Order: sequence, then C-alpha cells, then structure tokens
Amino acid sequence: MEILVCVKRVPDTSENEIEVGSDGQDIDRDDLVYSVNEWDNYAVEEAIQIVDKVGGKVTVVTVGDDESEEVLRREMAMGANEGILLSDDAFESSDGKGIAAILKAAVEKGSYDLIMTGAQADAGAGQVGGMLAAMLDQPYASLVNSIEVIDDKKLKVGREIEGGNQEMNEIQMPCVLSIQTGINEPRYVGIRGIRKVASVDIPVLGASDLGIDSGSVGNAGASVKVQDYFVPVFGDGAEMLEGSTEEIIDKLIELLKAQGGLK
Amino acid sequence: MAQFIADRRDVDFVLHDQFGVSNLSKHEKFAEFNKKTVDLIVNEARNLAIKEILPTRKIGDEVGVKFENGQITVPEEFKKAWEIYKEGEWLAMPEDLEYGGQGMPRLLSMAANDYFNGANYAFMMYPGLTHGAGKLVEEFGTEKQKKLFLKKMYTGEWTGTMLLTEAEAGSDVGLLTTSAKKNDDGTYSITGAKIFISSGEHDMSDNIIHPVLARIEDAPAGTKGISLFLVPKYRVNDDGSMGEFNDVVCTGIEEKLGIHGNSTCSLTLGGKGECIGTLLGEENKGMRAMFLMMNEARLLVGLQGFSCATSAYLYALNYARERIQGKNLLQMMDKDAPAVPIINHPDVRRMLITMKAYVEGMRSLLYYVAYLDDLIVVSDNDDEKERLHGLIDILIPIAKGYVTDRSFEVCSHAMQVYGGYGYIKEYPVEQLLRDCRITMIYEGTNGIQAMDLLGRKLGMKKGKLVMDLMVEIQKTITKAKGVAGLEEYAAKIEASVNKLGEVAMHLGKTAMSEKVLSAFAFASPFLEAAGDVILSWMLLWRAAAAAPQIEKKPKDASFYKGQVKSLEFFASSVIPISMGKMDAILNTNGAAVDIEDASFGG
Ligand SMILES: Cc1cc2nc3c(=O)[nH]c(=O)nc-3n(C[C@H](O)[C@H](O)[C@H](O)COP(=O)(O)OP(=O)(O)OC[C@H]3O[C@@H](n4cnc5c(N)ncnc54)[C@H](O)[C@@H]3O)c2cc1C
Repeated sequence: MEILVCVKRVPDTSENEIEVGSDGQDIDRDDLVYSVNEWDNYAVEEAIQIVDKVGGKVTVVTVGDDESEEVLRREMAMGANEGILLSDDAFESSDGKGIAAILKAAVEKGSYDLIMTGAQADAGAGQVGGMLAAMLDQPYASLVNSIEVIDDKKLKVGREIEGGNQEMNEIQMPCVLSIQTGINEPRYVGIRGIRKVASVDIPVLGASDLGIDSGSVGNAGASVKVQDYFVPVFGDGAEMLEGSTEEIIDKLIELLKAQGGLK
Repeated sequence: MAQFIADRRDVDFVLHDQFGVSNLSKHEKFAEFNKKTVDLIVNEARNLAIKEILPTRKIGDEVGVKFENGQITVPEEFKKAWEIYKEGEWLAMPEDLEYGGQGMPRLLSMAANDYFNGANYAFMMYPGLTHGAGKLVEEFGTEKQKKLFLKKMYTGEWTGTMLLTEAEAGSDVGLLTTSAKKNDDGTYSITGAKIFISSGEHDMSDNIIHPVLARIEDAPAGTKGISLFLVPKYRVNDDGSMGEFNDVVCTGIEEKLGIHGNSTCSLTLGGKGECIGTLLGEENKGMRAMFLMMNEARLLVGLQGFSCATSAYLYALNYARERIQGKNLLQMMDKDAPAVPIINHPDVRRMLITMKAYVEGMRSLLYYVAYLDDLIVVSDNDDEKERLHGLIDILIPIAKGYVTDRSFEVCSHAMQVYGGYGYIKEYPVEQLLRDCRITMIYEGTNGIQAMDLLGRKLGMKKGKLVMDLMVEIQKTITKAKGVAGLEEYAAKIEASVNKLGEVAMHLGKTAMSEKVLSAFAFASPFLEAAGDVILSWMLLWRAAAAAPQIEKKPKDASFYKGQVKSLEFFASSVIPISMGKMDAILNTNGAAVDIEDASFGG
C-alpha cells in the first residue's frame, strides 16, 4: 500500500512558553524550539504499522521552509521511507485552503492508496484533511482512532464520537483520513534510525514543479487572514468555587437560588 | 521554559557556537555526524528524556528500590523507560559500531546524557555503570571475553557494575581483602564481600556483569597486588547462553539520603565457594586498569552532580518568575504598591545569576573534557594526542570535584529561591539537593580529587600539564581581548590565571618541603581556586563566542547578552574572592595541621 502522510513543523509546547507577539498577528516565534506536530506523529506511526503488515511504502510530505526538512528527516528516522518538501516563497502565509491545494498538487504527482493527516495542528483549525479530500474528490473520515485493512480496496476505520462512543466505518480507497492521537503509541526514534537518514537527500518541490499558480496560494491566494491574536483579559463577575465536590455543589445551588436561577 | 532539565538554547550554544561539533564530521570517523544529524540526536534524546525518563524521577525517589528475599525490584515505571532507552541504542553512544556502539563524538553524547541524567540520574546509573563496565571489557578483555559479554552489555541486554569498595577499603582500595584463587582451567574462584555497590542487583536485566577488584593468593599487599576480574551473576557458557547461578548474593541494600531509585547493594561473592571469575587484563595490574577508566567514570559523576544543578536552576528560575512576594524595593514606602514576582528582588537576582554562571560554565567544562577526547580521535599527531590527554588528566579532578561541589551549592541556592517551599517534598528541589550530595563522595571523594590534582597531576611530566593548560587558557584570553566589551573581564581573568600559576608553583614546592602536611591541607582550597579560574575561562570563551552575535542575530540577542552578563558577574564578583582564596593558599597557614588532636575538643 502506498501511503502519504502530511506532517507539519510546529512550536514544541514542552520546550516553549507560547506568547502572543507584540503586533498581535502571530505568536512570538523568536527563539522557539520546534518539533513535529503531535497528531502527525500518530499518523506516521499508523502508516508504518500498516506497511509493516501489508507491505508498501510510507512517504511523508510537508509544506514549509528549509527548516521544515528536519521534521521529514525525523519521521524518516522513525521509519517512513521517503520524504518530500514542498517549499516556495509563494507558499508563505497560505490559509488552510492554500495548504490543501499545494498538498493536492503533490498527491497528484504520485499514486497513493491512502492519505493521512493529523486531526489538527498548532493552529487548531483541523481543516486541511477535509479540504484535501474534497479537492481530490476522495472519501474522507475525520478523527480516526483505529484502522484495519480489509483488502487492497477497503479499510475499516473507527471514529470517536460524542460521549466516548465508537463508530465503525468501511471506507473505499483511495481516501483521506485525519488521525486522532491515541490511535497507537508512536515509537521513539533511536540513533540507528537517525544515522540511516543522515545523508539522504530529500527532494524539494516548488510552485512550478507542482504546476501551481503562485497567485492562488500563499498570502496572495489566502481568503482567510488572521486579524488579531490576544489573550482574553479576565473579566469581573467570575467566581471560583472551592472545596470538595459536595461543598461546591451546595454553594452553587445557594448562588443559583440567590440570583433567581433556581426557584 | 516549559521543561526543567536543560536549556536547549544553551546546549546548542555549547555544541555549535563554542565547540563547533559538526566540524568533527570533516573527519571520516565522524563523517555521519553532520549538523542535521547532531540536531536530530539532541532532539530525540531530549524527547525521550522528557517523555519517559523525567516522569520516573519522583517515583524513583518515593517508591525506590525494594529488597526482598535477596531480590531487588525497581519501580515498575523504570522498566518501560529502560526498554525504550535500550531500543534507541543510547547506552554506548561513543563506542565502536562493531560492539553495539554508535561511533558518535563524545561531545555529542554529553549533550544527550545531559538530558538523560537531568531527567533522572539515579535511573541513568544502571546504563552508566554498564557502559563503564563494558569499557573495561573492551579495553582489557580477551577476544573471548569481548565476544561473550561486550555486545550484550553495550546494548543493555545485560547490565554492569563496579566492585571496588569493601567495609575496610573505601578511599584506600589497597586494603581490600576479596581474594582470588586460580583454578586448573585458568579461571579464578572469588571470595569476599563488597559493599555500596551501585546497580549491584535489580530486575531490569537477566544477567549482571561485575568487574571485581580482588587479590590473587600470595600477591603483594596494597594496590600493587590487586587484579581485576570479570564476575557474572550467572555464568556464561561458551556459546553465549546463560549458565548456572554464580554465587553472587545480594545481602542487603542501603537506605540513603538520595538516589533512591538506584540500588546500593552489599554483595557476597563465593559464600558457597562457587563464584567463578575470569581475569580481566593482567595479574596484579587491576589498579592500572582502573586508573585508565577512571577519567571517564569521574567525568560521568561530574555530569550527574551537574544534572541536578541545571535542573534545580531552571526550576528556581521559573519559580522566581511566578512567586509573588514583597514589594519592589524602589516602592517600599508606597503602601499601595503591589507585591511583585520575587525575580525583581536584588537578592534573588544575585542567587539566580550565581546559579546561571555556574551552570553555564560547568556545562561548557564538562562538554569540553569530552570534546578533548574527540580531538584525540581526529588528530594524527602523537605529540598532540599526548598533549590533549594531559589536558584531560588535569581537568578531571576539576570536572569531578569542583563541579560536584558547586552543583550542590547551586541546588542549595535553588532551594533558597523557593523559600520554605524549597524544603518541602511537594516541590522538586529538595530531591535534587539530596540526590546531588553523593556525587561529592563516590568515585573518589572530592578530598581525594584535590589530592589527585595537587599530588599527582600538578607534578606530572615536570609540570607540563599545567603549562599546557595555561597556554590553552591564554589563547582564549588573547582572543577575548580583541572582542569589544570584553577587554576588562579578559584582563581580570588573565590576572587570576597568572596568580594561579604562582599558587601552583608555591604549593608544589611546599608539598616537597617539611611543610608537606600544610600543603595538603590546602589541596581542596587549591582545587576550588583552580576550578574558579577554569570556570571563568569557560565563561570568557562563551562570551567571546556570544558577544559578536548580539547585533547579528537580534532574535537571540537576549541569550547572547546573558552570556556577557554571566562573564561580567563572575569576573567582577567571584574572581576577586578567588584571588583572596589564593592569598590564603600562598599563606599556607598551618593551624589545621598543627592543632593538637585533643584541642579539637569533643
Ligand atoms: C550511594 C553510594 C554508591 C556507591 N557506589 C559504589 C560502587 O558502585 N562501587 C564501589 O566500589 N563503591 C561505591 N561506593 C563507595 C564509595 O566510592 C566510597 O564510599 C568512597 O570511595 C569513600 O570511601 P569510604 O566511604 O570508605 O570513606 P573513607 O575512605 O573512610 O573516607 C572518609 C573521609 O576521609 C577522607 N579520606 C580518606 N582517605 C584519605 C586520605 N588518604 N587523604 C585525605 N583524606 C582521606 C575522605 O575524603 C572522606 O572525607 C558507593 C557509595 C555510596 C554511598
């Protein structure tokens, strides 16, 4: 099975205190330590496990700058077979649709049975997987937490739904899945894996390689633009109830009664 | 800063800006370790340390190891971390590929070990001792010993230990009584009792391989009659499979101040007369073998102590930014002035910058000693190799003795920054302080380190080691004098280096005179003064690497400016005290030696 996993380089929350920059347009990116988006890591692990079982190849792809190459190399050290870096000045400041369009162009250069993305990344929008599926006109399942290969045409995928319940689906390949954390336990990368990929060349594809019109992606093509980031100020009128659960419930009932919410 | 082991920016700075680790990849031996690989390795070591090893630190302390029916169990959580650590092949990073190592520069392995030990060094003692024991097999083992043991040890399948200490033989190993009797087949029957054996028994591996110091029957007394043996817990058959139990019995473990996660065992060897060992190296040359391995073991202990300090500093820094207490000194009179984070108080800032300067200088020093080893590997000139070896030899007592002394102080400062909370188990620094303390004692007490510096290293090769070290320091001073803004500090450090040279001459001479005892009463102060000067050298080196980048890389300016501030602080507020310490050494007052035993009172 040919599997493509879309990954992203994001600020590492275990290493950084994330703060909003002074202009409010972005977080403060000075001096940040980056790593691979956590959800993507689960997706890559799942892909490796599938290929271990049924054979095939795992390719990891990312849209980013030169430095994003490091997350591809990292996922290859983990066990992905190939990496592709999609990089071009024209890609900068793409919105979700722009990223999906760039990825679509890359998908069409190969022949993949299965495409995986993380359920979401640092921006929390969770949109790229769905948009990519739509652009490719492929079936899509989101928040996938289990995958079973039925045959070379079909997968059985589980999704977590409301209240911790589970939904099982059969899905035709080729398809796009967005992967939820917890689907597996991603392996750690050891030194042997790192040494294996130390001097592998990772191909870089730009807008013209992908046949993308520069005006349709990046800042130029973005129809969603961040206006402002801010940390909400603490308002008045909020009160933290403290004590044991029983005490809190009693106080809450008292308050509700006092304010006329409970008669 | 959201994790509390080591500041990634600082680790990268030492690796890349100070020592240029990826330049080593120009040499074929290290060709694979280009910048990308280096960064990936540091990333993954950090990742494993934070996610799997750090969570075992408190558990290791609170649950600890348990001793029941001669068996020791480690906390269950250790086992998962251990498996992942082994799978990642982190145990023998700098060793030969042939035996399960990774052929990595030692400098780079220091960075990985900085994270691992910082996460839980009591846990890391299991692989640390295994590595050291494996090194002994690699250096002194026969082909057969290597074939049977080495790969299994370097991959962590079997762990290792170091059996020197006995009840009557601590600092003076020469007093040991464990005996070895040669058998007809060339093996030896070992009989004796060892104490304080770290990782001596546990349930994380099937077999434990003990290098044991013992005396062959009729061998000379003292250190000249000591031999080294390889004694497995279970015998190993010629095909590599495990055989019978080898009569190595754990009779108890110590309850101790810190490192509760590591088992400190009493071991009886050959209680039933059935403990068989094979000679490692030559008869009666056991101490020589130990000495060859000691540099590495002592550097590791320096790193252990340091790992507590770096972690304690980061916790204290974070706490100082969050804890609100007291008004800003400038608004003392304003009754409406708000309370501020304690990082605003000058006395707290004094503690923080003290910790910062020591932690940075010590990180550089430890990495530097490892880097010298890499330089030996890439050099093809024998004189140069010998010079580099000499630098390692003279720096080891500092990297062990001075670094662990200062690390404990850093932990104490961290506790002080926390106030009462620092003393409470709910907060992490009290454990770090307790764990740190043993590093000043084992692997040669710091008193022994000081004597090693004064009594052995100073006089080696007619003082050539010291001279070579001074030349190295002078190179940095000359360079720093050419860096705008550093001239003044470089000059202060130069004066201290010159004075240290004078003190070394004086103490060396005094040690040869009738005032020898007084000279040795100043061995530890000398180690301390030498350590101060060497630390200032490291800070000067760092600042010289950082200062030119302040303008060039505005994004990292605060980090680089911080380097110059550490230097400024140390050169202006610590080195003057070191000058005073050196005055005291030059005085070599005899009170400590001359006072009559009875006059101590008690
Ligand atoms: C937790 C723990 C783990 C250990 N792990 C191991 C291990 O794995 N393997 C192992 O073999 N040992 C181990 N040890 C033993 C350790 O190395 C010794 O405790 C240490 O070397 C000191 O020996 P001692 O305790 O007998 O003290 P002593 O030698 O009695 O020293 C007492 C004091 O006298 C000073 N002193 C002694 N001789 C001299 C001298 N000639 N000149 C000046 N001062 C001197 C010392 O500096 C010290 O201050 C461990 C100990 C502990 C507590």
